[in-house]
Amino acid sequence: MKIHFRILPLLLFLLVCLAPPQGRAQDWVHTGTNLGNDRIRISAADFKRVGADPQTPALKATFDATLYNDLANAGIFDLVSKSMSPQTTPGSPQEINLTQWSDAPANAAMVAFGALSATNGRLVVYGWLFDTHNTANPQVLGKQYNEAASDDMARTVAHRFADEIILRLGGGINGIAETKIYFVSSRTGSMEIWAMDYDGQNQHAVTHLGGLSLSPRISPDNTRLAFASMGREGWAIRMYSLELGRMVSFPAGATGGSNLAPAWSADDSKIAFSSARTGDSQIWIADPSGGNLHKITSLKGPNVSPCWNPRTNAQLAWVGGRTGLPQIYTMDQDGANVQRMTDGGYAISPSWAPNGQLLTFSWNRKYGPGDPGGQDIYVMDIASKRWLQITHESGNNDFPSWAPDGRHIVFQRSSGGRSAIWTMLADGTDQHQLTRTGNDKMPNWSWK
Amino acid sequence: MNSLLDSPQPHGAHIGRGFANEPLFAPATGSFVLHGLLFGALLFYGLLSGFFHHNLWGNPGTGGAIQVTLVSTALPLPADQPPNQNVLTTENPSKAPAPPAPKAEQKVDETAIPISGKEVKKPQKQTAPKTQPHQPPPKPDYRAQFGEQAGSSMPRATMAQPTASNGPVSITNGDFGSRFGWYVEIIKRKVSQNWNRYEVDASTPKGASAEIYFRVNRQGAPSGFRISKTSNSPTLDQSCLRATQRVDTFGDLPRDSNDQWLDVTYDCTY
Repeated sequence: MKIHFRILPLLLFLLVCLAPPQGRAQDWVHTGTNLGNDRIRISAADFKRVGADPQTPALKATFDATLYNDLANAGIFDLVSKSMSPQTTPGSPQEINLTQWSDAPANAAMVAFGALSATNGRLVVYGWLFDTHNTANPQVLGKQYNEAASDDMARTVAHRFADEIILRLGGGINGIAETKIYFVSSRTGSMEIWAMDYDGQNQHAVTHLGGLSLSPRISPDNTRLAFASMGREGWAIRMYSLELGRMVSFPAGATGGSNLAPAWSADDSKIAFSSARTGDSQIWIADPSGGNLHKITSLKGPNVSPCWNPRTNAQLAWVGGRTGLPQIYTMDQDGANVQRMTDGGYAISPSWAPNGQLLTFSWNRKYGPGDPGGQDIYVMDIASKRWLQITHESGNNDFPSWAPDGRHIVFQRSSGGRSAIWTMLADGTDQHQLTRTGNDKMPNWSWK
Repeated sequence: MNSLLDSPQPHGAHIGRGFANEPLFAPATGSFVLHGLLFGALLFYGLLSGFFHHNLWGNPGTGGAIQVTLVSTALPLPADQPPNQNVLTTENPSKAPAPPAPKAEQKVDETAIPISGKEVKKPQKQTAPKTQPHQPPPKPDYRAQFGEQAGSSMPRATMAQPTASNGPVSITNGDFGSRFGWYVEIIKRKVSQNWNRYEVDASTPKGASAEIYFRVNRQGAPSGFRISKTSNSPTLDQSCLRATQRVDTFGDLPRDSNDQWLDVTYDCTY
């Protein structure tokens, strides 16, 4: 077969074109179990101070402390304590000596460092995340922030940088450093809705209605806050707009009194709540504007505290009283397929995990005569109904709420007549108190 | 009938003898040619459409592909403690085993008045259970084992026991592993967190390992799972496969890597 020289380049060209595109741009790795520990050992270095502005040391102190706490709270790191890290403050990739950080006593696998300056009223932060064991290509992250110079912004920038690190190293789950917790506080005399950062900072009141407001629920887009408030007609679901700074109307939630426990679906399209307008408390669903109101349960006994499956937005968990004692049930959003989750005791306040597979709720398994007292937070896998008890202190632990990363739970702990908001990792470790003033209840973690 | 079997003449000719007035040879060949053309056209169409791919299921690219991701069932937290049946978590687990639960004894009611004619049941001694043809699943024990044991009865990811090897050993081919070791760590961590050891048959020999192949796209989503090397224990193979399938995403591939996707082989060692 004669191949003309003119055709040969054409043939070669065709061959190249028809070559499978998979041949380019791929790489491969081989890894497995039995290959070491799970927590990443990370070191958060003090950032280098740049410039002589008198504001800088205070802002830098806030920044360093906030970054350290955010990484410590993340639940996935083994943070090198400040006394074990080298005392240097490298401010740029040229200044860092990686062997210092990877050797004992730090033994860090990752190091976060950078430079901070506050000049002319602008806070400028350069941050890097380096892999200490990879001297050829150590950079994992390189970030730059430029904001107005103030304590709040120093905290915000630290939160943002920590979130970037957690997103990078935590396998695609967003960090929670910029999320907020909404709760009820009576420290001003009346029960109002308050908000705070996820670490307990910046606690401030949101509503000033002067009455009784309970069970705040923030919308997934962080613009509206739904809550139950005692008014002239009894308990009504009311809506506060954070953007407008005032109450907005929610007509569906005002009829008949005894409308409680609003719950947003994750796609912002529906609110579920319990209402006794037909006699017994049943679960109702409406649009956030109040339209399309319909009842989805017709079961005996009070049916309260609905919460949506944030993954599918098509299922709800709620507390039903048809067996006499409150138990946790799940159902589809049209009321079908009712499943009972708990097998006895006194179970209340369900909250559905962001991954859609787990429920957390408050349960007293030994309710009844001879009850030793105490209500504890449990985590249950919905498919298998296996549960894990994650608090076991004395006192009442109630109203658990998942963080959007699925790793943290915020809850209310009452003991000795006072209640406070506590936070912990979803396996029950690392419990610490967030609020210390007044009586604080019913926390709700924001969606983002 | 015999004439049919041993006639060496062509088919058409034989039929032609029986129905001499009807010409069938030409239409028969025409029919053959037509069917042949149809078949060839079908083949050609199939071949041609093979070159223009669209709506590929599982294709990491855009356009019509539906990627099914399995939801992770585990708490997304690192598991530092070996698994046990404790339903209570603690901050300070101790290595000492928990005390066993006291056996409930069958009580004899001393005050019962014996009714004549009615046989009084004596307390039965616990006899060894006879082997039954169908073993019912063991009743779940909700007893909290105090003794400061870390709880993990939740079907939460369990980690394999760290062996006495000297630190992490990940074999990587290609330079991705050396440049982005932290990403390999993420893959290793997420899959081992999602691996439920209780799914594996207890009779599997220790050290058996199954290897799963999958592909991670630019957004970090794994796909294309298959068992590339079996461990000869079907339960171990399946549980390893499910562990990789449970991960939704490992996070975006590193920006500095120009890879469109990453081929990963993952070993689960029992």
